[in-house]
Amino acid sequence: MPPPAEARVLEAPRTCFHCGEPVPDDIHLAVTIEGEPRAMCCQGCAAVATLIAGSGLEGFYRQRTAYNDRPATPEPELLEQYRVYDDPALAATFSTTLAPGRVETSLLLGGISCAACTWLIEHSLSKLPGITRALVNLQQSRLDVEYDPRQLTLSSIFAHIDNLGYRPQPFQTNTARQQSIEQYRADLRRLAVAGLGMMQVGMFAIALHAGDIQGIEAQYQALLRWVSLPVAGFVVLYSARPFFVSAWRHLRQGSLVMDLSVSLAIGLAFSASVWATVTGTGQVYFDSVVMFTFLLLLARFLERRAHQRQMFIWSDAESNLPSAATARRDGQWHTVPRTQLQPQDTILIKAGEAVPVDAQVIEGSSAVQEDAFNGEHLPRTVASGDTVYAGTVNVEAALQARVLVDYRDSRLAALQQSVELAQVSKPRLAILADRIASWFIAGILLVTVTTAAAWWQIDPGKAFWIALSVLVISCPCALALATPAALTNAANALRRRGVIVRTENALEALSNCTHLVFDKTGTLTEGALAIAEVRPLGACEHSDILAVAAALQRYSTHPVAKAFQHVEQAPGVEDVAYHVGAGLQGRRDGRLYRMGSEQFCRELVPDFPARPDARLYWIGLCREGAALAWVGLNDTVRDEASGVIRTAQRLHLQVELLTGDSSAQGPELARTLGIETVHSNQSPQQKMARVQHLQQQGAVVAMVGDGLNDAPVLGVADASFAVSGATDLARSQADFVIVGGDLGKIVETLHKARQCRRIVQQNFAWALGYNLCAIPLAALGYVPPWIAALGMSLSSLLVVANSMRLNR
Amino acid sequence: MESLYLLIPVALIFCVIAIKLLLWAISSGQYDDLDKEAWRILADDEPPTEPRVTPPQRASESPRDD
Repeated sequence: MPPPAEARVLEAPRTCFHCGEPVPDDIHLAVTIEGEPRAMCCQGCAAVATLIAGSGLEGFYRQRTAYNDRPATPEPELLEQYRVYDDPALAATFSTTLAPGRVETSLLLGGISCAACTWLIEHSLSKLPGITRALVNLQQSRLDVEYDPRQLTLSSIFAHIDNLGYRPQPFQTNTARQQSIEQYRADLRRLAVAGLGMMQVGMFAIALHAGDIQGIEAQYQALLRWVSLPVAGFVVLYSARPFFVSAWRHLRQGSLVMDLSVSLAIGLAFSASVWATVTGTGQVYFDSVVMFTFLLLLARFLERRAHQRQMFIWSDAESNLPSAATARRDGQWHTVPRTQLQPQDTILIKAGEAVPVDAQVIEGSSAVQEDAFNGEHLPRTVASGDTVYAGTVNVEAALQARVLVDYRDSRLAALQQSVELAQVSKPRLAILADRIASWFIAGILLVTVTTAAAWWQIDPGKAFWIALSVLVISCPCALALATPAALTNAANALRRRGVIVRTENALEALSNCTHLVFDKTGTLTEGALAIAEVRPLGACEHSDILAVAAALQRYSTHPVAKAFQHVEQAPGVEDVAYHVGAGLQGRRDGRLYRMGSEQFCRELVPDFPARPDARLYWIGLCREGAALAWVGLNDTVRDEASGVIRTAQRLHLQVELLTGDSSAQGPELARTLGIETVHSNQSPQQKMARVQHLQQQGAVVAMVGDGLNDAPVLGVADASFAVSGATDLARSQADFVIVGGDLGKIVETLHKARQCRRIVQQNFAWALGYNLCAIPLAALGYVPPWIAALGMSLSSLLVVANSMRLNR
Repeated sequence: MESLYLLIPVALIFCVIAIKLLLWAISSGQYDDLDKEAWRILADDEPPTEPRVTPPQRASESPRDD
């Protein structure tokens, strides 16, 4: 095992080796990994990297394909909350005892990004004494672990995973998840059968084609046809079944969809081959049928897999809540599982903890950060009698509160319901392929019937064969492959550029989009307060002001304090006390300092000047007898934001800003970025309604967001992006997930979507053009069967090859 | 060429066995995670860790995995 890595100073770091975030200039942290000092952006990343390197698992960094999530600052109290899982009754809900000393348990892991993570977790866990087996399933983000409860507790497993920077929670098997696994396996079975069948039939087909060219005895030709028949038959009945089922379901509702033309192609080519085999005449197309089925199934399988991967990850709002809560039972405070809280229970919410359930404050005063609901990062002050909501974070001081309702009736559950509502009400744009398909099928059937009728008059003996060759030559294989082949290749290309495509059809919606709607906090901005301006009020030096401010803010958990965390602190600040809802007070060189609201400063310095304006969030700093400064904080705009918006406007998209923030900063930001339409103070439901309103007016809306409060609107928009650092719920609703946090990827995706649309149109033009030329020839009886078969394969290949161009 | 009458059915029997095996493997969950398995074979160039959990992986020290 290599010696444990040490943190030491490194000069000029750029991006964090662990999470990929830029490293602030004044942070000088490094961890030695594989002999090289690597820059780290924060203590959290450094701690995780040290843990990984110290366990001899540095190879993880070589193998991973994506950066890790930035870990929350390690807090012993955070790990304390996993203690509840040591309760046997609670543990039994997600673990099973195989034998004495052997318990198997399943955990759902948040933050797994690539296969190297699974390796890290498995190997790191296997080093713990008492763990006999650890297996991570990347597709489901699930960890199955078998351990000996006599040697280690379940909570220590949770804590260990948390230390690695992943977020564990019990894996509850629900029906949706179960169905999803079953669906996946069924798809894979069909694909496997089609693949093996394709190889087998292909082998016979080569012999048959060789026979066509150099001559073959009739008995062997018959043999090869007869053995191809059952294999192809099995593939058609087993693997191609979903096409037939879907076609029939839509047909009964009176709609002609692409699946119908696929079914027709498979069904007709197969029937014609069977007829040729039985009668010993004509041409067989078994190989084309099977290959076509395989290719289509493959495209569908790949799309579904990308979609499913995200579906498993923490797809509901409830998983954002802590698993344990502190409640008063029999006059004592106990840590109880959150699910056991009842209305009227008295709970204790410590500073820094998430509120577990909707409750009314009965003692204490504090502030709660409600960005889950409004995206605002400045907390709301609460006191006795106010209601706090599940999913918000208590930032200032401990609160005692009385539980009001169950989780089911909470405001967070209502948000989850909006998300589900959004999913079903998402407008399905009529897909180009399906629109063409209905005309095409109607056309083919008409032509076939006319041909048959005409030839019946001319030569009844030829009527059947000519009608059949019309059907075969018009087989819409190329047409059916046109869209899926293009979408799959475009999704592939985007994935390599750092955009995960979850719903391929959204590419089509995106290429037609007319409106681009942004969320503000965390999307256009970095989502954290930073120091924007310092206005000295006395003779004090700029850097001294910040140093004193940072030394005071070190004692605060308020979000404002984060803005100062990278500032060098002044020495000798002591006796710091926190005044809830007002600010901080401390002593330096025997003199009293205060930092906080205007009123709080005036108590110390009566002539403290009024705050400069409402543009920034201002905090005052003063010393006994002297006003020192106003420090203005602001959420910094992402560097690339203005460029992206200008490009979007040049592409004639209407850009809008929808923000939950009620302050003047929304319109202010919009003005600087050149966005004309702004809607501030929007609840998640209002955001959703706004997008639906646009859609009713005929707009195709692309939405970009990140927070819990954006999840419903992301679900309802025609195409939606989740930016990096987005909450898991937002990710699970978005069609595109931007991995690296570069808003410029939106423009790239837009260009790719438009390119994809062009390729699809070319594919359609070719497929339709080919059919239009070939059908009249076939109808006149000029096309021999082997040419029909060749044409069918070649036109499909051409479509696939054209789509590959998207991969570049 | 008469041997075809024997060889083709034999080939078909093998094909049926292969399909049966594959379907069994899928149903028993061996293909549930395609990403990891494809990657795992490359990951084992690491110094061998505790053999307890994943003994088969230690075979990777042999050259065939590379």
